[in-house]
Amino acid sequence: MTPGRFAGRGAIVTGGASGLGAAVAAALAAEGARVIVADVDAAGAERVAGEIGGRALRVDVTSAADAAAAVRAAEADGGLHVLVLSAAVEIRADLEATSDDDWQRVLDVNLKGPFLCMRAGIPAIARSGGGAVVALGSTLGAIGQPGFAAYCASKGALVNLCKQAAIEHAADGVRVNVVAPSACDVGLFVRTAERTGNAAAVMRQVAANMPMRRLGTARDVCDTVLFLASDAAAYVSGTVVPLDGGLAARRQ
Amino acid sequence: MTDAGTSLAGRVALITGAGSGQGRAAAELFAAHGGRIGVIDIDDAGAAETVRLVAAAGSEALAVHADVSRRADVDRMVAATVERFGRLDVLYNNAAVQMSGRLVECTDAEWDRTIATNLSAIFWACRAAAPHLRKTGGSIINTASVLGLIGSEGYAAYGAAKAGLVALTRQLATELAPAVRANVIAPGSIDTPRFRKVADAMPDPEGFLSGLRQNLPLRRLGAAEDIARVALFLASDASAYTSGAVVPCDGGLAALR
Repeated sequence: MTPGRFAGRGAIVTGGASGLGAAVAAALAAEGARVIVADVDAAGAERVAGEIGGRALRVDVTSAADAAAAVRAAEADGGLHVLVLSAAVEIRADLEATSDDDWQRVLDVNLKGPFLCMRAGIPAIARSGGGAVVALGSTLGAIGQPGFAAYCASKGALVNLCKQAAIEHAADGVRVNVVAPSACDVGLFVRTAERTGNAAAVMRQVAANMPMRRLGTARDVCDTVLFLASDAAAYVSGTVVPLDGGLAARRQ
Repeated sequence: MTDAGTSLAGRVALITGAGSGQGRAAAELFAAHGGRIGVIDIDDAGAAETVRLVAAAGSEALAVHADVSRRADVDRMVAATVERFGRLDVLYNNAAVQMSGRLVECTDAEWDRTIATNLSAIFWACRAAAPHLRKTGGSIINTASVLGLIGSEGYAAYGAAKAGLVALTRQLATELAPAVRANVIAPGSIDTPRFRKVADAMPDPEGFLSGLRQNLPLRRLGAAEDIARVALFLASDASAYTSGAVVPCDGGLAALR
């Protein structure tokens, strides 16, 4: 790791109050970035910001006004160079059991949220001299899995939205990429596993099915997100990087 | 060419956006293969004309007015089709809106309407139709787009909705199996009235069209009938072992990516 890779750069991490978002916020701060921890959970954002020396902002990513406010805050602090889209919700329900409200909620947070944040953030990154957007996708954006109808749809759509943004803003010096983790030992998957009532067994079983025989870690995700956000990935845009212990290699 | 494989005799297909273009071509072809058709469109005159064409092809159709961006309309179109014909074998989600605009210029209203019509509508339709399709061992066909597989300047909301639709269909193929199959058609540039409207809005429509053709391995635009033939394959027993597939019908464009 190169200390200070992000010195002098401004970053926003949505969903930064917990799980993978909090880990990414901490990693960016540790490498010198000015980090805005943006989350709908204001207390959680304050806690993480306090721990990492960042700034907390209550941001509901489904609100265009909140997204714009976060971007303004970053610009006022000296510019926006890195936008990490980590806020997401996961609802476990098959299609026939998915209510209209759940469908809308998942699409709003996981798809419209990134749209609103990119719409506000990409011009700011361009004004700041260029930078990168990194969105947290999912293995379930590329394959189907029974019981995750709305989540799969939202993550599949997110991938193409990011490809779109990558093409449209490549000339502005803004790169856009997606990291697609499989089940990780922190964040949404853990919460989903806990709802089964036997989290340890579920996590063991999923890990056993992975080519690498383990779940992803926050460390894994941070390393990949920071790579894509950094100048080391200067010629990488519009890609989806699977972070899945080899799982994608089983598919076409 | 009605071998048993592509026969829809005794079967009922609901086709959204059947009042013109690809939906109408599918209604006519399905009818010619024995299917009865629920003709769904927001344009009543277009739907009535399709009903007439289905009758001319020797079958029977019911026109149902629906704006698929409204949940209640979607529920009603499924219920009305099943009420009229007593069953549902094929759900063909063909209706879509196409609004172009770069991501940073896309308004919330454009975003919401595109996502509702091109993605949420299909979720609603599949949820409403699933119990009926389970009974008949039915087939779901969703029209995505090559723009759901790749990025292209100016189609932020459209591309996102179509990619979401691909993911939703894969999902359905896992959830509704083994009774129901679900597949995607990914059309390229298809020469329909809507497509002509887009082309005519260009500064040099003929130059635009010849440039497109030149870029395609098959050197021609698609016809609505090209898509209808793929849809018939996916609707019928000819594709009995195909589920969760994305079938490009694009003159070879996907092979260039």
